[in-house]
Amino acid sequence: MQARWLLPVGIGATVVVQVAHAAQYMSVEQAQRAAFASATRFEPIAATIDAAALGVADSWKPLIWRVWNGNATAGWFFEDAVIGKSELITYSLALDASGKVTKLEILDYRESHGGEVRLAAWRNQFRDKTSADPVALDRDIRNISGATLSCRHLTQGVHRLLQLYSHVLAAKP
Amino acid sequence: MQHRMLALAIATCCAALALPARADEAALKAEVDALRAEVAALKAEVQQIHAAQSAPAPVAQAKPVSQQPIAVTDAAAPNPGRSMSDAATANTTSLWGYGQIDYNHPTARAADARADLTRAVIGFDHGFNDTTRVYGELEWEHAIASASDAGESEVEQLFIEHALAPNYGVRAGLMLVPIGLLNEHHEPTQFYGVERNFVEQAIIPSTWREGGVAGYGNTDSGFQWDIGLVTSPNLGKWDPTSPDGRESPLGAIHQEMQLAKAHDLSLWARLNWLGVPGLNVGGAMFAGKIGQDTSKQFEGDANFPADNSRLLLGEAHVRWQSGPWDFTALYTRGTISDTQDLNLGFLGQPTPVPKAFWGGYAQAAWKALAWNQSSVVLFLRYEAFNTGAAYATQPQGLGTPPLPTQRVLTAGINYYLNPNVVFKFDYQDFRYDDPVLDYGNRFDLGIGFQF
Repeated sequence: MQARWLLPVGIGATVVVQVAHAAQYMSVEQAQRAAFASATRFEPIAATIDAAALGVADSWKPLIWRVWNGNATAGWFFEDAVIGKSELITYSLALDASGKVTKLEILDYRESHGGEVRLAAWRNQFRDKTSADPVALDRDIRNISGATLSCRHLTQGVHRLLQLYSHVLAAKP
Repeated sequence: MQHRMLALAIATCCAALALPARADEAALKAEVDALRAEVAALKAEVQQIHAAQSAPAPVAQAKPVSQQPIAVTDAAAPNPGRSMSDAATANTTSLWGYGQIDYNHPTARAADARADLTRAVIGFDHGFNDTTRVYGELEWEHAIASASDAGESEVEQLFIEHALAPNYGVRAGLMLVPIGLLNEHHEPTQFYGVERNFVEQAIIPSTWREGGVAGYGNTDSGFQWDIGLVTSPNLGKWDPTSPDGRESPLGAIHQEMQLAKAHDLSLWARLNWLGVPGLNVGGAMFAGKIGQDTSKQFEGDANFPADNSRLLLGEAHVRWQSGPWDFTALYTRGTISDTQDLNLGFLGQPTPVPKAFWGGYAQAAWKALAWNQSSVVLFLRYEAFNTGAAYATQPQGLGTPPLPTQRVLTAGINYYLNPNVVFKFDYQDFRYDDPVLDYGNRFDLGIGFQF
């Protein structure tokens, strides 16, 4: 170990300081505000999920809000979680009133690897997707090399929320 | 308090219902429907409140009730498999693993056909709290490890990770070297072909790990970076009588943190850019002294002439995945300095220390079929590598000529029963046969899984 190594180590430390404030986990409330800046009310919704029809586990219970802007529905907001490689990734999904994705946010990522799904460029692929789109990895959603499991499972998570919207919520008056 | 408000609300509803109807029937019906829906929502909310009070879920209670969504039909039921963002993750432990079983059949030497349980791996991941975890990978190679068997039992990774922020942190312990595309992601479902590619075995000695401290992180613009200060390989381990150094120069001298000589340390650095979905372009380097002051060690080799020998390994790659396509190109080159005197002492032995070694491959894969969870992927890979591309100059007549460059063309199929279970078949065409290193045209069958 010699002094000349200290230079790159110092550069590395500088990089660490530089990116210290680049990204933050979001709370549900922050994610709701980010998705619906002018919403007047987030109404919690009870939905009966026919697990068999949607092809999901019986235990699946996403949290659902109907978003109001005055007397009009501004959209829908979900909080859900999927397994990444071995730990849960908590995320939120915002749909506009017609069921189109407006925002996917990662609220909490706990694993050692695969956290690159937080990259905005990757999450932006879901924008404007609807229940009619495949929303499948390697079809209309691209992978992040080295974070395949997180990408696949989050894509499946968004897919099932879109199906939930179209089967259950879209018909709500 | 909540109960009282609820009772009040329900009473108001009932009172409203009891009022004499002045509007026409349709309006009344609409009003009743609206009230019914409201009562149903209130009922569900009462259930939710009961559930929150009876279940040990302080997190749920901490949320303002107005923000508390109604979690579908039976809120009191346990909710396995998920928690909300602010749920505590303290003391969570998860197990994972993978396995690989291979059959190799050299076409010219059918008698050398071999079936092997190549790897069985159990990994764990334990979170002490929200920011600190320990991550471990335990591996058995070739089925049985004992004094009289060829198998190995090894700790492949064991490190503490502490997140300083959501997108960067530090690790300390035995870690995989972040170089190339395979070393960190070596599960059999992650690569095409029965065996790992040659370049990332012969030049980058996968699975390569070193002990030390490292920083990791990624930025919003798509950069993923790693920097580490870790143990070095030990050139004192070089055995000129063994073919190991010809198969993989670094594989012959890495120490895997087994009573590793740690006088000389190395630095690793990697930078990837993932800013366009589907694209991974980047490179890595590993550099440091590897002589380990062998001549000065208590039980070292007093005549060891390469105390100051230095390793530099560089790597660059690009991978593009879009729709059914997956294209990869990777190049890596390494040098070892100050080997002239060492190799003089190895004169007459079959395996001197190379001054330079390199390898590269290009690979294209195409998902030809996909149904339900299954898929069939066809791939083609061309590799070229040379583990002894140059040797230090020696006095006239004593020099070592470079080894010929080995070239391998591999074509095959990965059949994924589901994304985590794969059956593989491939055919490999070698430019040079080398029975010692087990190089020669062959076909391979493989089973792999991960969970």
